[in-house]
Amino acid sequence: MHHAHGLVEPSPSESMESFLNGLWKQNPVFVQVLGMCPTLAITNSVRNALAMGLATLFVLVCSNALVALVRKLVPRQVRIATYILIIATFVTIVDYMIKAISVPVYKALGAFIALIVVNCIILGRAEAFASKNPVGKSILDGLGMGIGFFFALLCLGGVREILGAGAFLGYPLFGPNYQPWVLFLLPPGGFFTLAAWLLVFTSWQARKKRRQAPAEVQS
Amino acid sequence: MSHAAQPPKTAPVQIPASAMMIRVMGVVSLVCGLLIVITYQGTLQPIRRNQETILRESVAQLLPGVQKQIIYQVQPDGSVRILDDVQASVPKLFAGYNSSGALLGIVIETSERGYADVIKAMYVYSPEKQAIVDFKVIELKETPGLGDKITSDRDFLANFRNLEAKLDAAREKLLHAIVTVKHGTKKNPWEVDAISGATISSRAVGRMLDKSARQALPVIARNLGRIQRGE
Repeated sequence: MHHAHGLVEPSPSESMESFLNGLWKQNPVFVQVLGMCPTLAITNSVRNALAMGLATLFVLVCSNALVALVRKLVPRQVRIATYILIIATFVTIVDYMIKAISVPVYKALGAFIALIVVNCIILGRAEAFASKNPVGKSILDGLGMGIGFFFALLCLGGVREILGAGAFLGYPLFGPNYQPWVLFLLPPGGFFTLAAWLLVFTSWQARKKRRQAPAEVQS
Repeated sequence: MSHAAQPPKTAPVQIPASAMMIRVMGVVSLVCGLLIVITYQGTLQPIRRNQETILRESVAQLLPGVQKQIIYQVQPDGSVRILDDVQASVPKLFAGYNSSGALLGIVIETSERGYADVIKAMYVYSPEKQAIVDFKVIELKETPGLGDKITSDRDFLANFRNLEAKLDAAREKLLHAIVTVKHGTKKNPWEVDAISGATISSRAVGRMLDKSARQALPVIARNLGRIQRGE
């Protein structure tokens, strides 16, 4: 994460930039390769991926907003402790909310909801972005990163559920004769799918770079 | 982390007074605590409702024709009383009655470590038959295609249509412990025939039934009259 962020008030295009950054150019999973634990563990179905993606998005946006709000008050020496406190609060809130909305989803995600606390995407954004930027821009950054993460989980969950269970969101796709490729629901399937998506993304980015000015490839 | 404290060129490092740090963290904690309390209060009722609905649905699935359900909690002294809070983590007995008020069976929750993680299940005990008459896995993370067969394998589930669980004369313990035996070697009505290829999961099922029946059945025997009357 070496990009510089201006401390001045954002212009509209700059705000859009910080939103799109996480969504695409700095996608937390496919580009920064962060938050691998939930990415590999809970993407064995689209429903779980959806729930985890939304939960993380919520925590990311809220914690970014609150961190940005208190950024000038918090002494440097206790900033990490403060950020973790804020993140843990929103994770607890999301934990209660999921339990209130759907017990099956809560059971499927299990400990991984609580583990959002240690998802390095969230602390990473608090430290690298929200602690140096105004509230609005930090919310946009959280939205971009959160939706980027959500998108990545869906990509993995979709492939794994379609191949591993022959279904999408629980609806069978291929009829009763499909022999599901169970491996894709198991941990190795997570690694295979992630590797395949990373391959797609890096080769696609490499091609894009090659098309641009050749001098930029060196940087 | 990345930013080591960079001493300014002229003055020595300014460390804010501890009081200041404590104040800031105190205020942030207070705000966070408030947020959590508000969420907790707001979600308490829906969470309780959800859990109760799920429990009642599971019981209804296990006891076809059930019209009325009463949840009893087992108290430390071995007596039972009607439960008011489903979330309480006490041993529970779910008694199901038909339309004429007769006891259909008692559903009991149990759990045991399987191959991947703890397997949670419910089973139906029929005091009339002194046997386990149905069994259903509620939650498992066993290997798909192998261990998870305990939820679907027909021969395995047939074990629980009439699995003997008789108490001894003193009604204190099981006459025969419930055990899982190797696939195809079941001889007695209290044995569970394992699934070949899913031995660890099958054994876990045997153990969880034995463990739970050992505790619950004497309690049921002592309080059967009350449970039958639905008091």
